[in-house]
Formats: sequence, C-alpha cells, structure tokens
Amino acid sequence: MKVHYKINGKDYEFDIYPGKVLLDVLRENGFTEIKGNCYMGTCGACTVLINGTPKTSCTILAAQVNGAEITTVKGLGDILNPHPLQKAFVEKGAVQCGYCTPGTILAAYALLKENPNPTDEEIKKAIDGNLCRCTGYVQQVEAIKYAITLLKEGK
Amino acid sequence: MLKLKNIEECFYPKTIEEAVEILKNSREPLRVVGGGLHLSVYPNPQIKGFIFLNNLGLNYIKEEEGNIKIGATVTINDAAKSDLIKGLFNGNLSSALSSIASELLRNQITFGGSVAQREPYSDIATILLALDADVVYFDGSEHTEKIDEFYKTDFRAKLKEAIIKEVRFKKFDSSYKFGMERHVRNATDIALLNMAMLAQIEENRIKDIIVSYGSRPMPAIRFKALEDFLKGKDLSEAVKEVYNFAKENADVKGDIRRDEQYRRELTGVFAKRLLESFGR
Repeated sequence: MKVHYKINGKDYEFDIYPGKVLLDVLRENGFTEIKGNCYMGTCGACTVLINGTPKTSCTILAAQVNGAEITTVKGLGDILNPHPLQKAFVEKGAVQCGYCTPGTILAAYALLKENPNPTDEEIKKAIDGNLCRCTGYVQQVEAIKYAITLLKEGK
Repeated sequence: MLKLKNIEECFYPKTIEEAVEILKNSREPLRVVGGGLHLSVYPNPQIKGFIFLNNLGLNYIKEEEGNIKIGATVTINDAAKSDLIKGLFNGNLSSALSSIASELLRNQITFGGSVAQREPYSDIATILLALDADVVYFDGSEHTEKIDEFYKTDFRAKLKEAIIKEVRFKKFDSSYKFGMERHVRNATDIALLNMAMLAQIEENRIKDIIVSYGSRPMPAIRFKALEDFLKGKDLSEAVKEVYNFAKENADVKGDIRRDEQYRRELTGVFAKRLLESFGR
C-alpha cells in the first residue's frame, strides 16, 4: 500500500508492506538518524515527533500514521545550523555513544514546546522513556537547562 | 523487524458504524487499532488486517450530564494533561495517570485499548474500577455497562463484533477522595502491584469506598472484602486497622517477579497510605 508523510517539512510517498512499523519504513527510506533497539517502546531510541507528539516509532504501525507530519532529529537542525538543544548536548558533554541522543533531544524538544520553563522534575519526567546507558542523565538534564538559556538568548 | 507477516488490508473508517460493519463482515481476522502498542509488542500472526480508529472522532474528554466522558482513542497523556481531569480530586487523578509507564508510551496508550486488552498489569483498569466507570461500546447499537460487570462477562467475545466508544464516570463532588499507588522499579516498568481507592469521607467517617487492585499478578478486580471492612468506619480508626486486614485478605499470588508475601505487604502498605492521604 502507499502511504504519505510530511517528514521534516518535505512530502514523501512510500510503497510499504502494512505490517511494518514506522521505524523500519523510515530507516529503509534513508532516515537512519532514527535508531532502532528494543522494538517494545521501552528504550526510546526510535523516538520521532508524530504531529508534534513524541512517540516510539518501533511500536507504531507505518500504516497507522498515514498522512502524518513526522519530525526526526535532523528536522530540528544540522551540523552547520544546529538547534540550541543539539548545541547544548554537545557543549555539556551529554553525548557519548550517541545512540539515545536523537530520541532524547526530540523528547526534550517536545517538552520545551509545551513548557518553555520546566523544573528539573518536569525535565526528568519528559525524558523518562529515553534510556541512556553511557552518558547518564545528569549531563542530559544540564544540557536541556542550558538549551533553555540559549533559546531565551535567541542563540 | 517485521512483526506482522500476513497483513492484507487496512481500513480507515470515518464512523463507528462503518468500523463495526467492517469488523462484523470480515471473513478474515481483523484487529481494531487504537494506539497500537499491544499489537506491536505482542504481534498476532493470524491477523490479516487492521481497522484504524483514528478518524472516528473518539478523541474527546468532556463533561456531560454530570459525567466525565473519555473517548476510546484518548491517550493517557491527553487525559492527564487536560484541564478537566486536572480539576478532579485535587489533581490526584491526573497525577495517577502521569505515573503510568513513560512519557513516550503515555502518548500512545489509549483508554479504549487498555480496557479492551485488560492486561493483568494495567493501571488504567485499576483506576477505572475504582472510579466505578462505565464502558460504552457499539455493536450496531450502543451499550453501557459498569466496567466491573463488563469484565465479569466474556467481554473478548463481545469485542469480536463491537468497538469501545468511550469510558465515563460520575463527576464526584468534593466529599470524594481518590488516590492510586503502584510499585515499580523504573519508569517503563510494569507495576508489581497497583491499587486505587475512591472514598466518600464525611465528618471524618468513610461513608462509601471502592478499592481496586491489579497486577496481583492477576488482572485488576475490586477488593470487596476491604470495602466492606472500611465502610462506615472512622477514618483514623480505619488507618490503624487497614494494613493488617488488607494484607491478610488480599487475593494475590507470587510469580517470577515477586513472591506472594511481598505482594501481601504491598497491599497492606498501599491501603494504609491511600487512607492516610485522604485524611490530609
């Protein structure tokens, strides 16, 4: 079957097998910035924004979100023009192996859209589904707080 | 990773009538998809197609005729973050919903899906039982059943030809208190035991009470013996006695995750904590 998505602002049409999850369809079509791991929704590595809401693409059927707007971490910024969150994660040492980073940044992005001045507890809750096994969470929370400062300064 | 290997058709009905028609007339096994989490985590290879509920207009939370109505495709986060739900029980229902699973999964798990699956560890089932909620389902005509009664019937057989439309519960006045406790090791963990309580407290006396508990590890049920024990008691007296009664009379078992004794302890501790919170 054919599905249509708007991914990072561009329209796409893919011919898919309807039993596939969104993660696989996106990766097979070149969006390898989305990482796959648990396929149970427990690690958050595959997080994308679906119509602005962070969800695990490994537990969403590709056919289920036909017509949706999807944002991956590359939709926020790139190496030449990073989003303040991407910049903050690098500057605050919140990236080590980097496997969880795209998902964590998207979860944080969704939080800041909804609540530009979150408390530490609210930050921790927003990224509680994004597991990190090397950097740890202290630097991630620091990075998100630093990104809030950068966003306020318009950097 | 291909999870469902025999899918031939996808349906995107625009009305619940159309969805039920497709479900009833299909010769192949179809799966009704709300959030889709259960389906992707526990894929059933016999399924030949999906009926997606996205376009049925069941994404509402509203107050009508003294009831709070939550549409089947409303996610846990939709409800937890809604002003209507936040305004109930001093925010305790919203907090209880926000404690379930992770932020990402709360964006996917729906009320309809949770009720239909009735996973033994479901926190939603425990909450809805305590709220004495109704399940509204449609099979060509609309039916309303108390969730407690719905689960006593062969609800899975009913749902082969019906779709859950909404859950609803009474908008309780300020004499009612609500709370939930669940024991987990981390955010994405399923509860080792959960308990919810709704109590009407007047002049420090428990006038009426509903207690439900789940992940026992069996599915959520009402704890009727405890309800009878607590009804009519002075709250302070109940707080003193509830731990032992709940622990001794709990219908819990051990499993690979925790033994029976541990769950008994949790039952007593949760019951006491919830009653204590009602006295504050």
